Amino acid sequence: MMKKIIGLSLFTCVTLFADADLDALKQQIQQQKIIMQKLETKLDTLSKKQTQMQATQKSLQARTPSVNTSASFSQNAYLPAIALILNMSAVGRNVKNSDYANYSIPGFIDNKKGETPELPFNKERGFNFNYAEVAMNSTVDPYFDAFAIFHLHPDHLEIEEAFVRTRALPYGLRVKAGKFRSAFGRINEKHQHSWHFDSQPIIYKALFGPDGINDAGVQVQWVAPTDTYVMAGAEALQGTNIRTFGGTANGTEKNNLYVGYFKSSVDVGDDLSILGGVSLAHGQHLGNTSNVYGTDLTLRDQLGGYSALIWQSEYLERHMGVDGGTTNKQAGLYSELIYQYNNNYSGGVRYDAITKNSADLSGYAGVDTNNLDRYTAMLEYHPFPMSRLRLSYSYDRTKVIAGARKNVSQVMLSLNIAAGAHGAHNY
Amino acid sequence: MKKIFLLTVLLTISAFASLRVDATYSTMGAVAQKIGGDLVDVQVLGRAKYDPHFIVPKPSLIAKLRRANLLIMNGGGLELGWLPPLLRATNNPAIRNGAKGLLDMSHYVPMIDVPTSVSRAFGDVHAQGNPHFSSDPHVVLIMAKAIKEKLIALDPDHEATYAKNYDTFVRSWKTYLANFDANMLTCKTKKVVQYHELFNYFLDRYNIKSYGTIEPLPGIAPSSKHTIALINIMRDNGVKKILQDVYHERKTAKFIAAKTGAKVAIIPHDLGADGSKTLQEFYNKIAKRICQ
Repeated sequence: MMKKIIGLSLFTCVTLFADADLDALKQQIQQQKIIMQKLETKLDTLSKKQTQMQATQKSLQARTPSVNTSASFSQNAYLPAIALILNMSAVGRNVKNSDYANYSIPGFIDNKKGETPELPFNKERGFNFNYAEVAMNSTVDPYFDAFAIFHLHPDHLEIEEAFVRTRALPYGLRVKAGKFRSAFGRINEKHQHSWHFDSQPIIYKALFGPDGINDAGVQVQWVAPTDTYVMAGAEALQGTNIRTFGGTANGTEKNNLYVGYFKSSVDVGDDLSILGGVSLAHGQHLGNTSNVYGTDLTLRDQLGGYSALIWQSEYLERHMGVDGGTTNKQAGLYSELIYQYNNNYSGGVRYDAITKNSADLSGYAGVDTNNLDRYTAMLEYHPFPMSRLRLSYSYDRTKVIAGARKNVSQVMLSLNIAAGAHGAHNY
Repeated sequence: MKKIFLLTVLLTISAFASLRVDATYSTMGAVAQKIGGDLVDVQVLGRAKYDPHFIVPKPSLIAKLRRANLLIMNGGGLELGWLPPLLRATNNPAIRNGAKGLLDMSHYVPMIDVPTSVSRAFGDVHAQGNPHFSSDPHVVLIMAKAIKEKLIALDPDHEATYAKNYDTFVRSWKTYLANFDANMLTCKTKKVVQYHELFNYFLDRYNIKSYGTIEPLPGIAPSSKHTIALINIMRDNGVKKILQDVYHERKTAKFIAAKTGAKVAIIPHDLGADGSKTLQEFYNKIAKRICQ
């Protein structure tokens, strides 16, 4: 219709002023355009008015009283955001399940002393259903947010995290209270499903067990009002980690674990960001002082719209007193390089090592307890940001099984999904 | 003497006190700078060369948000994948969800393409409607008004300045729009396909019909089956233009172009995505590339 009008008017213009000079003609066309423009806006406003009128008519009709009496007390709008996380795997390993469940990492997990590794994930050869997690979060009121993750294993329920967090404190402060994963180091705070590898770094596993530092307590974090990101945090926790912070000699008589950390980040240009941190955890293990020092560094270089290179490393050192007045000094690190090709594919390699192990290793007579390390490689496919298939291979030289070093080879295909209102992950 | 010195320092600080304004994307940031003038210090969080859905939540952005008095966000779910963890970590109650210092632009812009049913089975669908309204130059007027009102609410002492800046800007923008709309009447392109439904607001405004997207579902990478179907649709309807954004892969668009004889046009989705420095340049580039 519009087109026809334009065409017609142009045609008329052309025929009427065929002899007139070109400039005048152009001017006329321009004027016609403006008129068209005005007509169009008029039409626009008119049609808008019409829809508005229809809307008011509709709303008038809608004002007939509803008979849904229960709606008077409906609180559905305040339901928390709920997400469902499922994690499962298929595993191939060159070690029998019964042997694997009793492995030792010399100096850290000693089978001879009756210690066994806790293996909540990917324990069996064949199929593993690791967990179903229900994550909920909600704003409680103007002052608090609440967050909880209910971790459902095939045979038990665990409150992995449940805490309240302030939302209105001034001066860049925030307080968290409840049961939560400590922000010690780089990876401790993150949930298993958001790690770059399915398996926990050896040093974390050795020092803290599968849950990391995860305890009841309070946390204060402060972000400095500077152009450079600087964050300082302190936590007071109960100290129930059986490996490193197992409380006083008579059990946990009172809270005894304190964690502190500084983190800072700088950008180099648009695409390269560097995040570093130092952390300290100070507590008690069976009545002796136990300290863990951590330092971490992450570099992320954005190569393109969806492509990035991430290099993440952490070094942890534990000084733990043992009965008899000596202090065991043990340390380890991991370093991983991840290449994200696009939103669908990524791959990565990781190196894990125990670098210092001055502990009582007398139980390992005749066993080589040096060169404890592990190599892992993985390939990831994300059909969509909410789902992930990951194929990984690891060659693990940290295990002693049945009194002898046993190098463990493992192939694993894992599937993880996060459905529902699952929030975005941190950096 | 010392006192005088201190006083002058204090006075200069307060005289040049400015509102710290963060904008998630560049177009809104540019509008905020026009309205705020010298009274605001605008920082843009998401670089325009990246997909606005997938901005990396770098810790440096936490520092940027830490002292912000106002955060202008696009809303409509566009920042869902990166902004919430930053807002949580920044410990700045002035801009938290529900606070006076958070301006969600999607609450002011009439949203189009609002889905009647929402499921992730349909891909990355935005429940509130299509959030990519920055492509429509008329939306700039809505942004300007919302930003003016917010700046006055946060900094009532400078109401007169904001109102004056707003009037000046709106007058010049309306002149620009009149010219722009007139030029768009001569736009020969009436049929297009796009990579993602990124330009619907612009296309709707100027009666250009979009016949489909290169991605089979929002946020899902192209598949050969869908690409063939799209080629057929383009052939049947005589679509001769493919609107490609700056951040997606261009292979598929080129393949389709080769099969259909259509032209691939790289369209910026946000100010600066394709080198534009001003709002005018940005919208001129969209128009030129689509209509050419």
